[in-house]
Formats: sequence, C-alpha cells, structure tokens
Amino acid sequence: MTTFERPDTARLVRLRLAENADDVDALFVLAALRVQDGDVRSGLTILEHVLRVDPRYPGAWRFKAKLHRMQGDAAAERLAEERAEDAGQ
Amino acid sequence: MIAAGDVVKLKICMAGEGAVGKTSLIRRYVLDQYDDRYVATLGTKITKKTVMVDNPRGPGQIQADVILWDIMGTSTLRELLKEAYYHGAQGILAVADLTRQDTLGALDEWARSIRSVAGDIPTFGVVNKIDLAGQRAIPAAEVEAFFTKRGWPWAYSSAKTGRGVEESFVGLVRLVLQSRH
Repeated sequence: MTTFERPDTARLVRLRLAENADDVDALFVLAALRVQDGDVRSGLTILEHVLRVDPRYPGAWRFKAKLHRMQGDAAAERLAEERAEDAGQ
Repeated sequence: MIAAGDVVKLKICMAGEGAVGKTSLIRRYVLDQYDDRYVATLGTKITKKTVMVDNPRGPGQIQADVILWDIMGTSTLRELLKEAYYHGAQGILAVADLTRQDTLGALDEWARSIRSVAGDIPTFGVVNKIDLAGQRAIPAAEVEAFFTKRGWPWAYSSAKTGRGVEESFVGLVRLVLQSRH
C-alpha cells in the first residue's frame, strides 16, 4: 500500500518556480531535467543562474564540472572542480 | 588512526525512493520534530549534527560532525546527478518504506550509484514507518534476508514516533568510524 505519492518532478519544479522564480532547488532540478532531455547548454545556463543566487548550492559545482565534461571543455571542468573543492563539496 | 578527543567530519548521504521518509528522519533526528504533511524534496538539503560516539579503536569518545545530505528520491535523475551529490560521501543511510514493497529492492540501485562515485562505503539500512505496521507490505523475513544478504546492519524506524531513529544514525556513524584506519 502506498502511503504517499511523490508528485511528478517536472510538475513540482514548475509549481515551485511559479511561486518563486529564484527557487534554487527548483532551478537546480530544472537544469538537470534540461540536460536529461539532451539540452546541455540550457542546463548549464540555468545552473550558472543557480550559482549566482547561491554560490555554495550543494553539488552545483560538481554538476557544472560534469556538464563541461559532457561538452568537452576540460579547462572549464577543472575550474568547476576547483570551485567545488573550495566550497568543501 | 582516530584518537579520543579528535573531531571528525563525516558526509552521510540519505538514499531511497521518494516519500520513504528521508527528510522526516533527519527532522526527527536533528530537531526532534515531525510533520505529517508531505513536502517532496527537490535537489538536496544539508543538515549538520554533532554526535559524540565511543572511540571504536580505543578509550574515550570522538566528536563526529555529521553532514547529512538529504537527496531527492528521484531515481530518473540519479545517474546524472550522482557526482554532484555523492562525491566524498563516507556513509549511506538506505531508507525503505515498510508500506511499499518496491522501496526495499530499490535500495540496491541507490547503493550501487553512490558506491560508483564514493567507493565501497558503509551502509546502514532503515525500514521506516514502523508505526504503520498494520499496512506492512514487506514481510519481516524478507526484510531480514535482504539486509543479511548484503551485510548491512539495519533497523526499523518511525520518524513519526522517533523509534529507531537515533539508533540508526548513530549506528551508521559508528560503522563509518570503525571502517576508518
């Protein structure tokens, strides 16, 4: 028996962003959803917005490094990894 | 080697399907509070808790500053975000929901994903919502067999009543400290 049903993630993101366009949790997940849909560039743009709002958002620098790696940008990947280390993540 | 009086910093990741009670377990453990309303976690939330535990390698106690990563239970994004969330993790609290059969078996994939990033780190199993024993969907023998087969210590818990919550978190901290050289 299911006690709770988790809402669809994309729907949840839309609802949260409708309430607060700078909801970093929702923006972070939106970035991931865009990448999952094959749009790495858009995901990266959203992720950079997350990092402007909260430069220490948990996991964001590591995720940024991964997206740069997916784009073949080793220098940007390395920089993002360094920022992740600096942020203690 | 860890010595009495040392302070260690531990990154612990919560794992498990959505709505198994990961956030509620942290809330109960850290704040001793419970809220019946379900709010799905998006992204991750970090909570810190200081724990004093017996030194596993000698006399005295050790202070563990535990960083709890409460990660959303969206399995479809797990592989994409695994480096972001699991880098540097030192322990896994793997949570299943007693009232949902599928949540126990799903722990294998969560643990596999975390270990693919963080290595073979200690895992402690938790079967949450024991307060809903009347709605049990996973037989006791199946729970026992699952964790025994994987060699994971485990406990029943209820974020609602508090049963088994502290024991689970502290049990994992002890496991992690015992695994360190």
